[in-house]
Amino acid sequence: MSRLGQELRLFLRQRLAVPTLALLALLAAVSVAAGVTEIRRQAETIARIQPLQAAEEAVVAAWVSRDGDAGNAAYYTFHATWDRPSALAFAALGQRDVAPYVLRVRALALESQIHEGETYNAELALPGRFDWAFVLTFLAPLILIVLLHDLISGEREAGRLQALQAAGGRAGLWTRRAGLRAGLVFVAVAAPFVAGAAVSGAQAVEVLGVLAVAGLYLLFWTLVCLGVGALGRSSVANGAVLAATWVVLTLVLPALAHIAINSANPVRQGVELTLAQREAVHAGWDKPKDATLAAFFKVHPEWRDTPPVTSGFHWKWYYAFQHLGDLSVADPVRAYRRGLESRDAWTARVGLVLPAVGLQTTLHRMAGTDLAAQLAYQDRIRAFHERLRRFYYPYIFNETPFREGDFAKAPRWAEGD
Amino acid sequence: MSPVLHIAANELRLMARARVAQLAIALVVILSAVAALTAISQGRESQEIRSRFQAQADREFDGQPARHPHRMVHYGHFVFRPLPALAGFDPGVDAFTGSTLFLEGHRQNSANFGDVRQSSLLVRFGQLTPAFVIQALGPLVLIFLGFGAIARERDSGLLRLHFTQGVRAGQVVLGKAAALSVVAGLILAPALGALAWLTLVGGAAPVAALTLAAGYAAYLLVWVLATTSISALAPSSRTALASLVAAWALSAILAPRLATDIALLAAPQPTRLETDIAIQRDLKEIGDSHNPDDPYFNAFRASVLKTYGVARVEDLPVNYRGLIAMEGERLTSSLFERYAERQFADQRRQSGLALALGLVSPTLAVRSLSMAASGTDLEGHRRFLRQAEAYRYAIVQRLNRLQVERLTFSDDSKRNSDPEAGRRVRIDPGAWRQTPDFIYRPASTTEALGAATPGLLLLGGWLALAGGLAWAASRRLERAGA
Repeated sequence: MSRLGQELRLFLRQRLAVPTLALLALLAAVSVAAGVTEIRRQAETIARIQPLQAAEEAVVAAWVSRDGDAGNAAYYTFHATWDRPSALAFAALGQRDVAPYVLRVRALALESQIHEGETYNAELALPGRFDWAFVLTFLAPLILIVLLHDLISGEREAGRLQALQAAGGRAGLWTRRAGLRAGLVFVAVAAPFVAGAAVSGAQAVEVLGVLAVAGLYLLFWTLVCLGVGALGRSSVANGAVLAATWVVLTLVLPALAHIAINSANPVRQGVELTLAQREAVHAGWDKPKDATLAAFFKVHPEWRDTPPVTSGFHWKWYYAFQHLGDLSVADPVRAYRRGLESRDAWTARVGLVLPAVGLQTTLHRMAGTDLAAQLAYQDRIRAFHERLRRFYYPYIFNETPFREGDFAKAPRWAEGD
Repeated sequence: MSPVLHIAANELRLMARARVAQLAIALVVILSAVAALTAISQGRESQEIRSRFQAQADREFDGQPARHPHRMVHYGHFVFRPLPALAGFDPGVDAFTGSTLFLEGHRQNSANFGDVRQSSLLVRFGQLTPAFVIQALGPLVLIFLGFGAIARERDSGLLRLHFTQGVRAGQVVLGKAAALSVVAGLILAPALGALAWLTLVGGAAPVAALTLAAGYAAYLLVWVLATTSISALAPSSRTALASLVAAWALSAILAPRLATDIALLAAPQPTRLETDIAIQRDLKEIGDSHNPDDPYFNAFRASVLKTYGVARVEDLPVNYRGLIAMEGERLTSSLFERYAERQFADQRRQSGLALALGLVSPTLAVRSLSMAASGTDLEGHRRFLRQAEAYRYAIVQRLNRLQVERLTFSDDSKRNSDPEAGRRVRIDPGAWRQTPDFIYRPASTTEALGAATPGLLLLGGWLALAGGLAWAASRRLERAGA
């Protein structure tokens, strides 16, 4: 232990040691603060929309309940959904800056609602957010390189190497020194994260998981630094080789992988299915009503025996072709989804080879801010929309008046949805 | 041979012999070429897809059967944002904004299916485009090849030898910078090739392409001068490397992300949902078309009746229901416009704040210039949104006018109860074919250059600063060497 203390004193006396570590700790702290602020803002937005939504619903209820037309109630009432950030989201904001985390849906065809985007400044989204995952993935390795590139070569260049080797330190000495520096880097980057996690109420297991992944990632870079250092080149050459390695592993190869994955998995179905769904829904107006209702009753036989539609327009028929429009694109919807999942799966595979990608994939999975989380939110919206439809159908098909009190009976978005 | 040329030639000879230098240059040139090829082919492909979808949407609109005009208002129209020619060089925010917009009556939808939401988080590692290669990787190659240019010679005593032979320090700095500029030229070459191709074959505006070429040349020159100067000023080549890599990391990696967070913190934007609700609320305050006794719509009816000199809406020579639809659309559209302009102003303020960080990062300056000159900045997307909204309003009102003029009030009122009336309200589909198609008007060259000006000015400032640094480095070297 005293040996380690000795090394610590030696290390901290170096000119670059304290400023470098302090810089990393500062950047990590700023990133955590920024992440916590952003997540708090998102949580506030979610809290704020609920009274707004209730007020709007009251306005709709006031005029709809006058004649109690259930079709109008289903048509004009929006229902809010939201995707609450996880306790770890502050550390890896992921897709939450471009994908909606609040979305309203109606009981109309869902495919024309669920792909709606959020308003955001694309110029700011382009470089990505300054979150803790970024500091760990991109900046921490650079700091490790600064501190470790001259571990051995620096002593050689100072003429102390032989003396050190002769003193019998051998492998133990270098392990101790490298371990000390890597450990300090880990502490500098991890401490702000732990503080942020405590503020956000993350569970100990989650925190330990993130710390383990972060530790592995830093261990990888420590070993790379030591490996390059062991080749016996000068400090300058080591620094250059390590920086080049960093560029290739964290910038060049991920960008190449991105191009490869996206061109190998084209996803055009998104636009195709919205175009097709609109055709299907609007063709509903021109098709014979009986045919439309017959097709609908195949899916929902429970409404088969309700009074037939005789007039020019009836909500039954309208909501039937809305739903049939969604069903008509079920295949492209699945294909679109498979394309997205395949992109994600390939990214995870790339992550097995490229540590930076692996780290980002793991962190965003743990934080629930990746593409899979976005798709899971969409699944919950689909399930909620199904409940909405089934809530309005009895009123519409049985032609039951929809009264003011009925608005409160509508399904509500719940965290467990 | 002049001493400057002599020094430059020597430095180049040295680089040509060094394995690392060969490798670095080859790597970045290959990368740049790969980026240019993929960006151009991807750009062309997505442009083809978009025009195919646009043609399909136009065809489907024209091919709709006889219908009530209001059905067509809800059938709506899809428009696709065309990709500017120079997107093959710098796609800018293209992947981060949806490229398709569904236009319908009384609703303003979001542009959807941007690549960012269809990609894994890899998209955040940066996209391999010619612009990215030069912005992020170009400076790094210059640093690796140039950090030792002067520091090394001072370490080895060669510099002193130069001075005793009567070479001035300024000539050494200039010569080394000239040699490094040749490397910068090599890095730039594939991108210039791509620009030439996009101009000659892709039909890009030559002035915009020249602006891009000049901007990137200036950007690399800043790094050439900075690298040479730091190499002269730093106490050792190791310190030179460390400070240059730190400067690069700050400029290319740290600053863009910090700029994002600072701008978002300073000027947050409401979510789409809140804006939607706010618009609905404002609309209700003006007038509620669902309320039969609404003062606004009562006044509207009174003014219509007065204009036509009749007592009842049934006696109007036009279809009153159509007039209501037109008035409603006018109201919602004015609100959409007001909220959109507010949102655009917010975004401009955010982007302005982010660009202000270009004062500490030449990369931010060149990025802004690059996207603006390529027509792929956010202003380009806003231009699309604005034109699409104008088009939406135009076709919706055109369809509403058909309802006003071609349908009678009595048919329109009993279209659901009387099958004959229901048949008569479906008008001839020739009207759909006569509806004009959406034609996007891209930024003019003047507008693009105007948008590129702030970035250009910032880069000019950086160039002056780097020049000043080189001059200071020469002075100091001169004094130390004498």
